[in-house]
Amino acid sequence: MLRDLVFASLLVIIILALTYLTYSGGLGDLPPRDVRVIASNYLNLTYNQGITWLWAASPEAVTAIVWDYRGLDTLFETVVFYGAILAALTLFRSVSKVPEFVSSAGLSLVVKRVTAIVTLAILAVAASTALHGHLTPGGGFQGGAIASVAPLLLLVVFGKQFFIERRISYSKLLTIRNASLALLGFTSVALLILGFLTGFQAYIFQNQAKTVSTLSYPPYLLDVPLGGSLFFFNLFEFLAVASGFTLVFTILLSRDETLRKELEGEELGY
Amino acid sequence: MTTLIEWVLVIAGQFLITIGVLCDLVASIAMLRFPNFYTRLHAATVGSIGGAFLPIIGVALVAAGSDFLGSYRWFLCGASLVIAFIELLLAGAGSHALARATHRARAAPTKPVIVDYLEEDRGKGEV
Repeated sequence: MLRDLVFASLLVIIILALTYLTYSGGLGDLPPRDVRVIASNYLNLTYNQGITWLWAASPEAVTAIVWDYRGLDTLFETVVFYGAILAALTLFRSVSKVPEFVSSAGLSLVVKRVTAIVTLAILAVAASTALHGHLTPGGGFQGGAIASVAPLLLLVVFGKQFFIERRISYSKLLTIRNASLALLGFTSVALLILGFLTGFQAYIFQNQAKTVSTLSYPPYLLDVPLGGSLFFFNLFEFLAVASGFTLVFTILLSRDETLRKELEGEELGY
Repeated sequence: MTTLIEWVLVIAGQFLITIGVLCDLVASIAMLRFPNFYTRLHAATVGSIGGAFLPIIGVALVAAGSDFLGSYRWFLCGASLVIAFIELLLAGAGSHALARATHRARAAPTKPVIVDYLEEDRGKGEV
């Protein structure tokens, strides 16, 4: 009892001390209360049709910042995610090679029918989150994460046999993921390559035309804002994330014996 | 101008929301008072159907009767109906899956029990 009391008061004292230090400027100057210059620049320029040499052609400022203004940063984040999934797949590389003959009938009929309906809804929400990422809050990663819930549900409810029968194989998912990541990279340098071929000047990660470089992704599709490269980045990120998560789920939902064998290693160890 | 139909919609919606509050209250008391896992699961489902599905339908009715929302009221109404539909499907299926899995794995005691047809069927080898 006394120990709990001492612990609680210690916690409170530490929090109060840290709050005091932070508030008195111990971690550097506090951010100003008004909108800072860089933020107001982003807000003013993202969809400013009067200044088209600085805009991103997207009404969604967050997506514009993530994939246009600081797109290189996001590309490296995607590479980190790619590496993490790659590491997981490498650890369990022999699991993917074992052909599984699971005679799992899945859960009961009630759950199967409900899951079938809900899976469609999940995929619709995921697609709208990803493909409208340049118009409404959301984006490729979020859409991909939502979409990967659908195969997880199907794996649990219908059993792994369902995937095997429909020929949704490991290598196909891996191909989708690698292709979409390659296309993601290609989208970032497409205008540069076009510039080399046609003799115009262009930048890496260029979206809309700048003052010294007239090449540009289309800002509109018919009369809907397309956001130029943002739409393609969101689309490919969506595919990469959804297939990457699905790969990890299929591996982690393998049979216990297969997984345990992989974790225990061989007789002599690794 | 508020018409009679809008008044009826709003009042019916508020009535459903009130029933939802009562269901949630009953469910939370029953969660604490019921004797075993299966009866508590029943209480939880009362909370999710009576305490979530019904009030969302009520919200749809209130939105449909709210003139001041303009055209957004149909947006709110439709979204609420879709959410209610999904809630209706998922709450039932979820508690069904939980109860079935628990019974198959014998993870929770069924006592006190009056009749257990699933156990009898399993004794005959039908499940």
